[in-house]
Amino acid sequence: MAHVAHAEAQAGHELSFWRKYIFSQDHKVIGIQYALTSMFMAVLGGLLAMFIRLQLGWPGQSWPLLGRLFPSGMPDGQMNQAFYLASVTMHGTIMIFFVLTTLLTGGFGNFLIPLMIGARDMAFPFLNMLSYWLYPPAIIILLASFFVSGGAAGGGWTAYPPLSALPGAAPGSGLGQTLWLISLALLILAFLFGSLNYITTILQLRARGLSMMRLPLTIWGLFVTAILSLLAFPVLLAAAIMLLFDRIGGTSFFVPAGLLIGSVPVDHRGGNPLLWQHLFWFLGHPEVYVLILPPMGMISDILANNARKPIFGYRFMVGSIVAIAFLSFLVWGHHMYTSGMAPVLGTAFMTTTLVIAVPSAIKTFNWLATLWRAKIRFTSAMLFALGFLSLFVTGGLTGIVLAQPPVDIYFQDTFFVVAHFHFVMASAAIFASFAGTYYWFPKMFGRMMNERLGKWHFWLTFVGIYATFFPMHYAGFMGMMRRIYSPQIYAHLQGLQPLNVFVSIAAFVLFAAQFIFLYNFFRSLFRGPQAERNPWRATTLEWEAPSPPPHLNWGETLPTVQRWAYDYSPPDMAEDFQPQAAPAAVPTGRSREGRGDGGHAR
Amino acid sequence: MAEHHESVRDGAWYRTYVVTWFWLLVITGLEIATVFLGLPRLAVILLLVTLALMKAALIAAYFMHLRHERLNLIFTIAAPLILIVILFLGVARDALNVFFLRQ
Amino acid sequence: MSEALQVREQHRTTASAWGGGESPFAVPWAKLMMWLFLLSDAFTFAALLTGYAAMRITAGVWPGAGMKAADFFHVTTVVGPMTFILICSSATMAVAVGAARRGDHRTTVRFLALTVLGGLAFLGMQAYEWTGFIREGARLTGFVGELGGKIQPMFPATFFVITGFHGGHVTSGVIYLLVKTIQASRGRASAESVEITGLYWHFVDLVWVFIFTLLYLI
Repeated sequence: MAHVAHAEAQAGHELSFWRKYIFSQDHKVIGIQYALTSMFMAVLGGLLAMFIRLQLGWPGQSWPLLGRLFPSGMPDGQMNQAFYLASVTMHGTIMIFFVLTTLLTGGFGNFLIPLMIGARDMAFPFLNMLSYWLYPPAIIILLASFFVSGGAAGGGWTAYPPLSALPGAAPGSGLGQTLWLISLALLILAFLFGSLNYITTILQLRARGLSMMRLPLTIWGLFVTAILSLLAFPVLLAAAIMLLFDRIGGTSFFVPAGLLIGSVPVDHRGGNPLLWQHLFWFLGHPEVYVLILPPMGMISDILANNARKPIFGYRFMVGSIVAIAFLSFLVWGHHMYTSGMAPVLGTAFMTTTLVIAVPSAIKTFNWLATLWRAKIRFTSAMLFALGFLSLFVTGGLTGIVLAQPPVDIYFQDTFFVVAHFHFVMASAAIFASFAGTYYWFPKMFGRMMNERLGKWHFWLTFVGIYATFFPMHYAGFMGMMRRIYSPQIYAHLQGLQPLNVFVSIAAFVLFAAQFIFLYNFFRSLFRGPQAERNPWRATTLEWEAPSPPPHLNWGETLPTVQRWAYDYSPPDMAEDFQPQAAPAAVPTGRSREGRGDGGHAR
Repeated sequence: MAEHHESVRDGAWYRTYVVTWFWLLVITGLEIATVFLGLPRLAVILLLVTLALMKAALIAAYFMHLRHERLNLIFTIAAPLILIVILFLGVARDALNVFFLRQ
Repeated sequence: MSEALQVREQHRTTASAWGGGESPFAVPWAKLMMWLFLLSDAFTFAALLTGYAAMRITAGVWPGAGMKAADFFHVTTVVGPMTFILICSSATMAVAVGAARRGDHRTTVRFLALTVLGGLAFLGMQAYEWTGFIREGARLTGFVGELGGKIQPMFPATFFVITGFHGGHVTSGVIYLLVKTIQASRGRASAESVEITGLYWHFVDLVWVFIFTLLYLI
């Protein structure tokens, strides 16, 4: 295989610093590059959220110190509207595309896929490197948009036209929006290259004996995610091309006739703004599953490992991942109930959206069944995994509420929606990323993270998340709009001010708590105790390699897989786990039948 | 490897391509003819889409050798295409709604 | 007994195409990757064509009252032959791939070169079509001149964007083919890589089938 030839060619000589750490083709280095860059972006995105909360908590308040730092966005320390809207837009864009997608698929995906399937590297390491190196330019272009005239894009992360299509529509609709589109197009290419690699690698380079139905659920999550990205992102790419033509070429794909900007009629006519919403959400909805399927997989592995029990209903777990992925392409219209979309479509999309709750519930109940009567090890990773479960259920339930058009007409674009997706998608995915970091850190860097700090981090974050986002449900009930700059101008929202102050303070505490994690991360990187090969006594293949794994991961021979990924607490064994690659041990005494799911789900 | 596919008559190996090429041209001719026949609008659309799908199938099956791949690869490639149909149906139905609203 | 079961199970897994250690599709990874890329590219084109359909359905009359899209193009004299040439270049490509598989380098190079010529001819004719269309008054933003008010502004826009995007694919395909031709003439192109180039080229042809039908004929 060409892949192995590449491996042999590289094994011989030492690589220079640049080839080893910067323009590396090693999947582990690329994964870590992706993860660190995403962490940097997460801090930025979090900072923007703090700006949003600053404005909502104390609208109109002057912050002289900040005014000196951001003279154009906060003249005299008072945040202006364009800067606020740009913060909202950029917070969403950065967190969804530049943090969660890149961290989960780029970071964890790159690092874990070859290790967990027993391969030496990705199928096409060069394309993998290219995929990462499209990411920094995309970031630079995106951040540069803060400094152009009119500031960064302000039309929301969904970039609905005509606000995003007409450069004169709002301050943020100028060059900032164009840069936003270009940056996103670059990132789409990066995701495309990544997805091609992931799918091919998982299909073609699995170790001998590692059939699809023996794969750890992490890999299933990443695999199906890659398929989603492969099929959904091109649609956004096409929509972005059309939007760029509308902005630069003067076409009217998304601009209807008869629009006025400052009482001057625009030249565009003949377009259909709903088309953008359709195309955007055809990507956008699979995209939220791009953010939640890898977490679901990672959580399954971490839960099983720390509960020391096989995952309950492995086949159903795989089936529900695939079902969610397929259904995610059929539900895009539930973002458009109030857009003026044909009502008959609303009914159809409501049905498909409610159906998607079924596989999600299957997963939730299977996780609970995995925990049932287990001797749980409450490591930091496990705490975050349990936190994920809680957040996913809290957010998922409001999803069922919002799926119904009559209810959604009331809740559309209120803080209820903000609360919903921050629970189910944003916080849940972040929690899974934390769980994954605490769990795989020893494998990534060969050192252990501090568990004590990890637990502090968990409790502050968990309480912080609920304190921040749960009251937002109430604000939404009261009719507070989601991207509003000055809620106090409406009489019916003035009573919410104490609530908003509480939410803002909770958000600041939440943000501050993340520095515990950053401290723990970087300190453990250099000072953490050495990690052994398999500190969590896990079954999956990555723990067969040394910590950290050397270039090309495995020694002379690739591992051969003997069993499924969840052989925890097998009966009549000395150890309470049996690694996937351990040679078949002959069990003594009792027959291995009657072990429930584990018996046949391999 | 080459000897495996060698058939009795030299040159016979590219016969499939010639036959495919011939049929593609015939269908293209039919397509152009359809436009000038003056059939009812709906019939023209249905006919043209059917002919286009036939051409696409011929290219994929014979020129791209999909017919000679394993069945699981064929399904892997063909199954996601259903999503294109879904995208089209959703968007087209809504565009029709916009058309009626603007009348 | 359970030990025997386990051994049998392991044998069954490793013997299956999906059991790991080999490709379940019996294709090299590069070929699978090209197939996946084409699948994703098909979605890009599908979204563009869906956008075109939405424009057209929203507009109702297309391109204008009492007019047909075919009236604006030389369907029988230029676009038809263009389609003919692209199909022929696809056929020559298929022959080149077949020859490369049989190890017949001379035929491979010759037919690859023919394919390049076909691609160039297609691009030339497309340029001619664009020039004619622009002379009739078509602009990216809509029609100018006497037809200006009578024609949907999105008619030329969708045409230019979609055929332009396809033309970009043809252009990159021609460059890809040229590189492959030069490699093949130096004996450095493997049969597999020629086949992968072929997949891309056939895909460009396949997309044209739909563009030809949906933009010019319907």
